[in-house]
Amino acid sequence: MAGDAIVAEDLTYRYDELVAVDHISFKVAEGEILGFLGPNGAGKSTTVKVLTGQLQPREGQAIVLGIDIARDPEKVQAQIGVCFEITNLYEKMSAEENLKLFARLFGVPRFDAGALLARVGLAGRERDRVEEYSKGMKQRLMVARALVNRPRILFLDEPTDGLDPASAENIRKVILEERQRGATVFLTTHDMMEADKLSDRVGFINQGKIVALDTPHNLKQQYGKRALRAQVTSPDGGLESREITMDKPETAGAVQELFGREKVVTIHSEEASLEDIFINITGRGLTE
Amino acid sequence: MSWPIIRALVTKDLTLFFRNRFFAFISVLGIVAYVVVYFLMPASVDEELDIGLYAPVLPPIFEQLQGDGLSIETVDSVDTLKDGVTEGRFLSGVVLPEDIMEKLAAGDKVTVDVYFASDTPEELKDAVTNLIQELAYIQSGQILAVDISEEIIGPDMLGMQIPPRDRMIPFFAIFLILTETLGLSSLISEEIEGRTAQALLITPMTVNGLFLAKGITGVTLAFGQALLFIAITGGLNQQPLIILLTLLLGAILVTGIGFLLASAGKDLMSVMAWGLPAIIILAVPAFGVMFPGTVSDWVKVIPSYYLVDTVHLSANFGFSWGDIWQNLLILLGFDIAFVLLGIIVLRRKLT
Repeated sequence: MAGDAIVAEDLTYRYDELVAVDHISFKVAEGEILGFLGPNGAGKSTTVKVLTGQLQPREGQAIVLGIDIARDPEKVQAQIGVCFEITNLYEKMSAEENLKLFARLFGVPRFDAGALLARVGLAGRERDRVEEYSKGMKQRLMVARALVNRPRILFLDEPTDGLDPASAENIRKVILEERQRGATVFLTTHDMMEADKLSDRVGFINQGKIVALDTPHNLKQQYGKRALRAQVTSPDGGLESREITMDKPETAGAVQELFGREKVVTIHSEEASLEDIFINITGRGLTE
Repeated sequence: MSWPIIRALVTKDLTLFFRNRFFAFISVLGIVAYVVVYFLMPASVDEELDIGLYAPVLPPIFEQLQGDGLSIETVDSVDTLKDGVTEGRFLSGVVLPEDIMEKLAAGDKVTVDVYFASDTPEELKDAVTNLIQELAYIQSGQILAVDISEEIIGPDMLGMQIPPRDRMIPFFAIFLILTETLGLSSLISEEIEGRTAQALLITPMTVNGLFLAKGITGVTLAFGQALLFIAITGGLNQQPLIILLTLLLGAILVTGIGFLLASAGKDLMSVMAWGLPAIIILAVPAFGVMFPGTVSDWVKVIPSYYLVDTVHLSANFGFSWGDIWQNLLILLGFDIAFVLLGIIVLRRKLT
């Protein structure tokens, strides 16, 4: 078992009276992708800011790569990459210049900006000024910038938010490649499908507190509802829906009864989504 | 503190500065225009005599004296007369005694006190002296013994009257430095509002490193342009070390002010809105050099006064370290105050 890349213990952050992060504790193993999910204002971005040394925790501590981030943020920051939620690139500089600047700040020797830009699908546009880029291209450049120093931990804050499917897929591919390389990925998103697809584990944060943290499979097992959904012919010749909850003692009998008494047109199994689970746990949706 | 990091950021800032068409344009235009204006201005001095006169009893002949090359203004006290000479409104000040008419009529010796500005040329002093003797002769109809008591007010800059264009050197140099306040504050405020500062501070770059890099950028821009201008116009012919140090201190001063403006402004327009009034106030002492007598002692509360005054005295009159060390010390004090204040205010906004 690899060591822990991130250890948060009783981590708390307040903006004046507002408690944005409320005594949360969790660990992220090296090489793991952790999806950190929650609605807007739940405390996702504040958690990332504390973990990356942008904010000092009011209580508790965060150990990142074995270093207390509050005590030695520069040492941690040299080994992490951060992709912010809001685009913050130098618009009057080219993509290549943006990356080379950060490579110099990180002290990366012999940095190949072209290769990195090609990885995120920006080959051929290296020398265009960022102000000429589309939103998707800027977002891909943001991800590329976070990779300049081959980070041991990659913090990605809503990396695919508002992107076209092709750009989003490109970024997902890069995330998986980074995990393959051995990097730890801390992914905050409110895209449940993306989190389900990419994450080894997901954590739900709501009103500053972590309300669940486990693998998507286990969460679905624990909080989700599996069902069989069927369409049957109604007496008047139309279609009606039937739902049979699975994993219950009476499930088998209900299935037999369905096929014995009704004319089944279609049938398929349905698994709970992370969204359903979040609603189940918190009583609110992720987009509220 | 890593110098490669600082260097990378300074290079980036200078690149972005010159990619901003507005600042690139006004910077280049500023230097070119000021140099052109300097060389177009007359290299010789205006020799009209501006004389202040205090006379409790005014001889009739003095009342008729206004003409080509001569301007006489009557004042109501000796102190006002001295102030006029000190501030440069009068080339010289003449005090006629209360009993001049009686003494002229009686043929007694008359003592006339004459005050000269410190940069009054010798030939003009002679001209004023001769004028008074001539007037006394015309008034009384005979050659009379007139005892003229000369007094130099302020530092003695005898024979060092300067042409108007040389007065422009500190004026333009200070304007170039002040303009960079806007450039620097705009660069920083864009960095904050565009959240690129946030991205920088997540690298090994520290907040202190960021301030140092921005400070170097500001000083380089301001000092570089002022130096270029002053070198082209021959302003370094006298006391070059003093002038270089003064310009450097001036560049540091505007960098501190730039930090303050950056914390107040959100974009170029708001930086301009805050910055232009600041620049106008800071430019007031420069007008005092250009147009002597238009400003008085209150101007010394403006930090840029010590910058303008030192450049003016050193570049135009060759004043040495011993003459202007107080100016430099005060300027250094303002530098420390403004840079620290700027850093404190800006740090709150950055973190």
